[in-house]
Amino acid sequence: MIQLKTMLNCIDNSGAAIVECCMVVGQKRHASIGDRIVVVVQKQRGALAEGMAASSSANKVKRGDIRHAIVVRTRQKVQRRDGSVIKFDDNACVLINKAGDPIGSRINGVVGSELRKKRWSRILSMAPMQA
Amino acid sequence: MNAAPLARRPLGCLKASLRQARQHRMFARCMATDADADADADADADPGLPTQQLPPPEHDFFRITDRKTKTLRTAFAVYPPTTIAGTPSIAAAPKNVLGSLHALQIAKMDPTGARTALFAKTRDAAKPGDVLMVTHRRGGEPFAGVVLSIRRRGIDTAVLLRNHLGKVGVEMWFKVYNKNVAGVEIVKRRAKRARRARLTYLRKPKHDMGSVEDLVHAWKKSRKVFSSGKGGAGAAGAKGKGGKAAVAGRKK
Repeated sequence: MIQLKTMLNCIDNSGAAIVECCMVVGQKRHASIGDRIVVVVQKQRGALAEGMAASSSANKVKRGDIRHAIVVRTRQKVQRRDGSVIKFDDNACVLINKAGDPIGSRINGVVGSELRKKRWSRILSMAPMQA
Repeated sequence: MNAAPLARRPLGCLKASLRQARQHRMFARCMATDADADADADADADPGLPTQQLPPPEHDFFRITDRKTKTLRTAFAVYPPTTIAGTPSIAAAPKNVLGSLHALQIAKMDPTGARTALFAKTRDAAKPGDVLMVTHRRGGEPFAGVVLSIRRRGIDTAVLLRNHLGKVGVEMWFKVYNKNVAGVEIVKRRAKRARRARLTYLRKPKHDMGSVEDLVHAWKKSRKVFSSGKGGAGAAGAKGKGGKAAVAGRKK
């Protein structure tokens, strides 16, 4: 149940660590796995020492950027067609550009296999495992 | 009715009189249908109805006579409550209808009874705290995890497994009688019986078991050792471990 103000982990190497949902794309109340959302980057990866030059060179996105993202894990249970249910311990997303291609080149961590049903095969192929 | 219109339109008069006759006949038929529920014997006395020499059937027919062939054409029949599809039922309806339905469905989905036995309330069955591995028919990685709770609801019986996949906790419910669940194997039993039915405290960081991958790995290795050379295929190797890891509800 990703909605306005939900904080998500960003699990790709685009440079964002924590993002905040500011809109759910499409006519729906909450986003679930495989849904598209608009996010604001709240925390950058490797922004510990505030070394702007060092961190921004590797990172493709900066703090305060508004980007599109795909939800890949939710705390809310998701039921599948065969009656099995999956639930993760965190909410996570992967940043994409307007065209729908992932901004990062790698994903660390498990993603939900609902992405297959929603035709995000690019993200699925990048993920190390799916559950 | 004067002669002039009759001369011009001779059929007009005929039409009106025919309509009247038809109406009359319809009225008579309606009355006959209404009456023949109680008086089936004097049906042959009425010339408008076809004669029925057969004995009256068990059920009540709502009759419709075919206009061309003049034979009885039944639209539908009303049976007394003790009959099923025309034949009188011997046994009354079971008391526990839903229970018997579940039993029927379980017998269909689990003919060998392995799945039922694995999640029954017996000593040998899987219990909360055990580590299970569920294999899917549709390929994909088998999901292993510690059992948090077992939901026993007849055919809807399900089991909740928890594991860590790459530092993230993942919980999955599996329907035990699902055909897509190809096999359920006990990887490791809990050393001591859990004193709770639902081990929800295992979600807390203090009690969390973390990943069960190493347990699964060790179990797979031991299965290979105990099975004879061919590599652990199925439950045959697992049985060698003194019944510690057993029961695969595999079919085909």
